[in-house]
Amino acid sequence: MRSFRRLPLAITAVALLLGAPACGSEDDDGGGPVDPPPPPPPVQSLAVAGGGDNVAERFTSDLWVHGSYAYSGTWGSFPRDDTPGNALKIWALDGAGAPTLADSIIVPGISTMSDVEVSADGAVLMFSAEGVEKAGLYLYSLDDPANPTFLDSALVGPGLHTATFGEIGSGRYAFTAKNAPDPALLIFDVTDPADISLATTVPIPADYGIHDTYVREGLAFVFAWNTGVIIYDVGNGIRGGSVSAPVEVGRAVTEGGATHNGWWFHNPVTEEKRYLFVGEEGPGTVGATASGDIHVLDVSDLAAPREVATFSVPGAGAHNFWMDESREVLYAAYYNGGVVALDVSGTLSGDLSDRLIDRLEPGGDGDTYTWSVMLANGSLYASDMISGLWQLEVETTTAGE
Amino acid sequence: MRVAALAAGLAAASPGRLIAAQSPVQAQVTGQAVIALTHAEPVPGGDGLSELRVVQPVVMLRADGPRRIGFLATLNLEGATIAEGELSPGAWGEGLVDRRHPHTYAHELMLTADDLLGAADGITRLSLAAGKGFAPFGTDDPMTRPSLRYPVNHHLAQILERAVAIAAVAHGPLTGEIGLFNGDEPERPGQWPRVGGRFGDSWALRVTAVPVTGVELQGSHAEVRSPEHRQGAGTDQSKWSLSARWEGPLGGRLSYGLVEWARTSEADGFFVFSSLLAEGAWEAGRHRLHYRFERTSRPEEQRISRFRTLRPHLENSIFGTTRWTIHTIGYSAPALERGPIGLRPLLEISYGRIGKVGGGFFDVEQVYGGNDFWSGTVGLRLALGGGAHRMGRYGAAMSDDAAHHHREN
Repeated sequence: MRSFRRLPLAITAVALLLGAPACGSEDDDGGGPVDPPPPPPPVQSLAVAGGGDNVAERFTSDLWVHGSYAYSGTWGSFPRDDTPGNALKIWALDGAGAPTLADSIIVPGISTMSDVEVSADGAVLMFSAEGVEKAGLYLYSLDDPANPTFLDSALVGPGLHTATFGEIGSGRYAFTAKNAPDPALLIFDVTDPADISLATTVPIPADYGIHDTYVREGLAFVFAWNTGVIIYDVGNGIRGGSVSAPVEVGRAVTEGGATHNGWWFHNPVTEEKRYLFVGEEGPGTVGATASGDIHVLDVSDLAAPREVATFSVPGAGAHNFWMDESREVLYAAYYNGGVVALDVSGTLSGDLSDRLIDRLEPGGDGDTYTWSVMLANGSLYASDMISGLWQLEVETTTAGE
Repeated sequence: MRVAALAAGLAAASPGRLIAAQSPVQAQVTGQAVIALTHAEPVPGGDGLSELRVVQPVVMLRADGPRRIGFLATLNLEGATIAEGELSPGAWGEGLVDRRHPHTYAHELMLTADDLLGAADGITRLSLAAGKGFAPFGTDDPMTRPSLRYPVNHHLAQILERAVAIAAVAHGPLTGEIGLFNGDEPERPGQWPRVGGRFGDSWALRVTAVPVTGVELQGSHAEVRSPEHRQGAGTDQSKWSLSARWEGPLGGRLSYGLVEWARTSEADGFFVFSSLLAEGAWEAGRHRLHYRFERTSRPEEQRISRFRTLRPHLENSIFGTTRWTIHTIGYSAPALERGPIGLRPLLEISYGRIGKVGGGFFDVEQVYGGNDFWSGTVGLRLALGGGAHRMGRYGAAMSDDAAHHHREN
């Protein structure tokens, strides 16, 4: 584990804190523009708080945390101890946020539970599945979050790699990534979670196809490997697109291709929506080595995104992201590199290696291959393929420290 | 023994040899097939498996026309006889694992213009060749070598079944070849190379020296774009091959030997696979003995069944690297020689060990139940016109006896 304490970051944050009241006071008399809120204390480091070494029989995949429960998937493209990745793990979080395995749901006919998400209202648990017989999209009710109950599924061969909720208008949709050989963005209407219906299919070039989708403000960012990032209007209005008839807004190919995932950063400090962080999934030996950088696109002009910055961890590769937008920190699962916390405040340009706040290998060197991260309830949760579900403490300093 | 046939009108000139009478076109037809009963143990899953198959069924036509124009065609019928591959622990590629994949029906279709400058360049021969065939890289096709079992290093040591354009120059004991081709491997026996969009995205260079009769030294390099993904999303390969080959009498007996080293670096060196192979064959009267030692590393990809790997790929990751160390010994003797037809029973046994190199989730014992394996084959080789000729060299790179082969009946 390496720790990087970043004085420049702290100075920047303190300066912003000191400056914010002055800006805010100008708004107190009303009528003027509302200043953005001051940023919370900056993140200083990551530390293990709980969990870990808690899924021994399967490799762990994605995770989601909602309320006092967490849910994690399992991976079985090379099954651990011949056990397929067909289990959804249900975790109870104690008062301090530490996870304890509460139950598991076994889904026959799948080999990997590749993506897990809970709807914003906490009502529906969704996961995507890959495998031979029953790959596809699955929805469960969380009326009792400790005991998810099956609602509906949509089988899609040869599998869905990811599934992402999108609230568009009054509807709720699942944006899913259908695997090759005929890759496509499949958008399902899941407004009635007990009755999944396909809203539309958007073919994606078979240049390894589509891996993930990020949906926000009626825009769907499709991460399509060597085709790059494709931005669709699915209800934003910028191009007149809709869920049933997405319209392309723009696209860009990031350096090195292998575009895998991303996050459109809405910065509450600057009120900018300027940056799209893109994960590159480079070559790897699963469980041991990985490669691939974080690429930063300036999407000020959504029709013409352009790459402005990159971040690299030598000998490791980026995977899924989460952002603490208020603190302007990007968290990235980094496979054998563990979890990375990156300062993304201000203007981003060139090599961001000096923006690294901290990096933590939760399972330790050689036992870490982190798939995903998520910030919830003040803790950062990490799902590690080898060592299971972890609770990480995000240590901060307050102004004046 | 060679067989020559005419493009039009065959005339027997001598037993086993047909030449064209008064024709500017001469042609040879050769071929082979092997009926093989193979048992391997363990196979993926941990148990043993036996299969009876017809393997390596090929028919070859070599025609030499006027103005040193030549045409070479090799029809490979494995797509019909081993559509699901040949049981062969360690084999991999083109979507199969532990089964050697069938080749495409059109194994070679090459048009060659040889010695383009005639006497103008003295003893130098300059040739151009184009069509579907081997890139100028590596060693001979395993099909034309003594062991029936394909080596694990097939995809490290040869590049074949591509749309190629090759220039070759031979001067004295030296031959140089450079070729352009499409990087993508075929995906099924009936598939043609993807010429549009892929031809010329890969290249290879090979230098061969024959310092003394019977000895051939070879060094080659290739840059291959996205061989495992036809649309081009896959990782690129940088390949090297060095070999020394001997063929001729030794102590009064026909003998053959090959030592080769091959290395493939993929994804800018993220993955490196290498191979060391030595093989030989000796004849004493009617008896022929052959032996091969091989140590080759291979990638372990996602499997969708015991013998199938995921195609097309979804990403550029593997689950580990294994190293296959294999000893193969075999014996054969002619049972029948009648005109151009020869029958040769054979027996071949392999013993090998599978080791894991580096990290990753792949677990040898989980897949195979252990680290050791063996396989045995009892077979009958049918040869037409002496069987398969050496493949993979065209024009100036193919000496007169290169059409010959070391496995004559």
